[in-house]
Amino acid sequence: MKLAGHLFLAAVMLFLIGPFVIICFAGLSAGESLAFPPEGLSLRWVIRVFEIESFRSSFALSLALGIGATLFALILGIPAAYALARYDVPGGEAIRNVLTAPIIVPGIIVGLALLRHLVIPSGLGVRLALFLAHSALLIPYAVRVVSASLENLRPDIEEAAILLGTSRIGAFLRVTLPNIRNGIMAAFIIGFITSFNEVPASLFLTGPGVATLPVDMLLYMEFNFDPSIAALSGLLALMSLTVVLVAERLLGLSHYV
Amino acid sequence: MSEPFLKLDDLTLAYGDSIAVDRLNFEMREGELVALLGPSGCGKTTTMRSIAGLMKARSGRILLDGRDITRVPANKRGIGLVFQSYALFPHLSVRENVAFGLRIAGTPADERDRRVASALSAVGLESFADRAPAALSGGQQQRVALARSIVMEPRLLLLDEPLSNLDARLRLGMRTELARLQRELGIAMLYVTHDQVEALALADRVIVMQGGAIEQIGTPEDIYERPASPFVAKFIGFENTFETEGDMLKGSAGPVPTGFAVPAGTRGLAWRPKSVPLGTGPHEGRIIGASYQGESVEYLLESPLGEVKAERPAAEPRHAPGTEVQFDLPLSGAVVLPNA
Amino acid sequence: MTDTRRAGLMLIAPATLFILVGFLLPVGVLLSGAFRTDAGWSLGNFVEFFTTPLYLDVFFRTFRLGLTVTAVAAVLGYITAIAITETSPSWRGRLVALLVLPLMISPVARTYAWLVILGRTGFLNTALQTVGLTDEPLRILFTETAVFIGLIQLFFPLMVLPLLSSLENLPRDVIPAGRVLGASWFAIFWRVILPLTREGLVVGGTLTFVGSLTAYVTPAILGGSKVLMLETLLYQRVSVANDYASAGVIAVILIAMSIATNFLLKRIATTRRAAR
Repeated sequence: MKLAGHLFLAAVMLFLIGPFVIICFAGLSAGESLAFPPEGLSLRWVIRVFEIESFRSSFALSLALGIGATLFALILGIPAAYALARYDVPGGEAIRNVLTAPIIVPGIIVGLALLRHLVIPSGLGVRLALFLAHSALLIPYAVRVVSASLENLRPDIEEAAILLGTSRIGAFLRVTLPNIRNGIMAAFIIGFITSFNEVPASLFLTGPGVATLPVDMLLYMEFNFDPSIAALSGLLALMSLTVVLVAERLLGLSHYV
Repeated sequence: MSEPFLKLDDLTLAYGDSIAVDRLNFEMREGELVALLGPSGCGKTTTMRSIAGLMKARSGRILLDGRDITRVPANKRGIGLVFQSYALFPHLSVRENVAFGLRIAGTPADERDRRVASALSAVGLESFADRAPAALSGGQQQRVALARSIVMEPRLLLLDEPLSNLDARLRLGMRTELARLQRELGIAMLYVTHDQVEALALADRVIVMQGGAIEQIGTPEDIYERPASPFVAKFIGFENTFETEGDMLKGSAGPVPTGFAVPAGTRGLAWRPKSVPLGTGPHEGRIIGASYQGESVEYLLESPLGEVKAERPAAEPRHAPGTEVQFDLPLSGAVVLPNA
Repeated sequence: MTDTRRAGLMLIAPATLFILVGFLLPVGVLLSGAFRTDAGWSLGNFVEFFTTPLYLDVFFRTFRLGLTVTAVAAVLGYITAIAITETSPSWRGRLVALLVLPLMISPVARTYAWLVILGRTGFLNTALQTVGLTDEPLRILFTETAVFIGLIQLFFPLMVLPLLSSLENLPRDVIPAGRVLGASWFAIFWRVILPLTREGLVVGGTLTFVGSLTAYVTPAILGGSKVLMLETLLYQRVSVANDYASAGVIAVILIAMSIATNFLLKRIATTRRAAR
């Protein structure tokens, strides 16, 4: 019974993790086309990834988008989470539903809606539309993670700080914020990874020379069957692995997922 | 003392539409130790929070040292509060917790260090200064909270159920310590509690609250020996409290003759369990419970008056549960509750 | 009191307004467009959609895949979660980390790996031919099977993690108690574990089901234009044909499914809590 359980677990983990190992090797291929096992090992395609201009620009866009949208979502989300946790907000339940709505709406609809009803009529840039879409999608995560850390914090420490002479805002900055810092950083990392990996909402929000990295990868693989996407996928998997491991070490990220 | 130090003047407090405290009036002298006593939900904590400025007054005034502070924000009142949960800052060490208020006030570093050290030594925590609050016991955490308040040298210190989270042994120690600090520092203290033993043992004066209003204000002796209302009598341990009408006691099953002439102007009569003799007397009841307490036996009786509690010395003849027994509610052992 | 209410509103207003105006408004306008034709308000677009065989195919395929992926993930998920609870705590931590890790990695990278494995010259075909099981490369890529495999791998952790957390909340001795009473493993699962972990199953099932219905990357890479699902069909209708009417209908279907499933989840979760 025990052995069967362990074998089953090994098979499951192989199914989940094995493909990443395979893709890393496929990306290290020396051959011209995608194959496994690879035709010899080289860094050829890894280097090639960095030479493809569109990958460089889409990586930069995804990076800026991930950081910018997550920060913006936190700037809007932290006060909202705070108000939900600490104040008796009129219509609180309805507001909570509005704030979590972006999770329920499939991303592709968001992208199409913003394209048709914002970008086309108003002539707003695609980049701004991407920023709007990603910020909206990340607000629910920001609110949820920050709410969770606020719930673990006694509200009366702020009152204590006020009675010791500080203002309401001072109490928040000096007492509450330092105690929810880990939650905010976890929210930032989760938000960044979510934005960086997001596809459906970004799909329609592309323009000449403007696409997020995952969308750019999808476009590239429509016409190319070389190992560069495998190499890039491997690099992205390693990047995520590094971020998650570092975050887990520093913050215990898994408490917030 | 002609001018009261703290004065509540028709203070009314409300949560939305529900009135929590209705036109409250009381005064406190400088350096006095006053207990605000009452069951949960009586408005005592709400009152304390409004004195601290954490809750707005619906109407009425709060005067501190002759100055109207009703509209003064909480961070400008200079009143200290020790929270029931202590509310220590988890990310700061004990020393930094105590120094917090002085930092806000911009006190120079050398003076700050000196005052923090003396506050910590006043509560006996010098050697714990660099610990995190979470690494301390409940009693130690409370003393940090106390030090954090007294380091600000407030003229009025509010304490919310200061002993309720401590075990019996720590309570006694803390009680003595509070009394000592109060004497040494001369801070007026107002503390909220639901425990009459705590209130009577510690306070100069006790204010008993019920349903958002004051039932009685007096010295512990006043409260204990001369409760002013049936509620206070019951709350303070007169478990056999009955309202009267002429010479009749209002029992749960109808009027019952007292067997003596009730003084004029009486609203009710109250007996402690140990003032109820068993075996003789004009009343009859059935024993429904008996519990041996060492020196005495506590009986619970069912009678036309309702439930009656009696406490008899263990040496007296015992009464078994289920037996009928006569009992007395004598005028000599009664406290007379006067008409309001 | 009114002051704190006002402060609360002011703190919450920016996020709420942002989502209302920048998100829900455009989405609402898009959805309302599905109910308009040149003749004004009508259900014409829906009639058109549901009478086109190709679209009906895609519609049913999407649900078929969603349901089979959820069912298979639930069965395998229970076995996995139970097996994990029987390992030592340190192994449990490692296994949970291995489950969480793929969630952090780009779905494009995750799905692309299957292209390498399932392709004509991929790992699977090379292995099968080397061993001599097949002579010709198997055609797996661009079939429903490939999409199914990709979706299972994508959503499996989202099924296992909630199951695991509700299994860990089980009273410690229910399973040994059942064994002592002589119940078979199957009876224990059916009468003890399943009822007590219903909440985890509902959460995991919702995430998997809604996730599969609204998947884009997996059917796009592993299904191509041969195995369309609702999202890939939507993308195709818009980008190839500027067919906003069908796109609007698909959007309404997707969002209705998503809201309905999430609503159900909330109800089941709250009635469970109330019953406790």
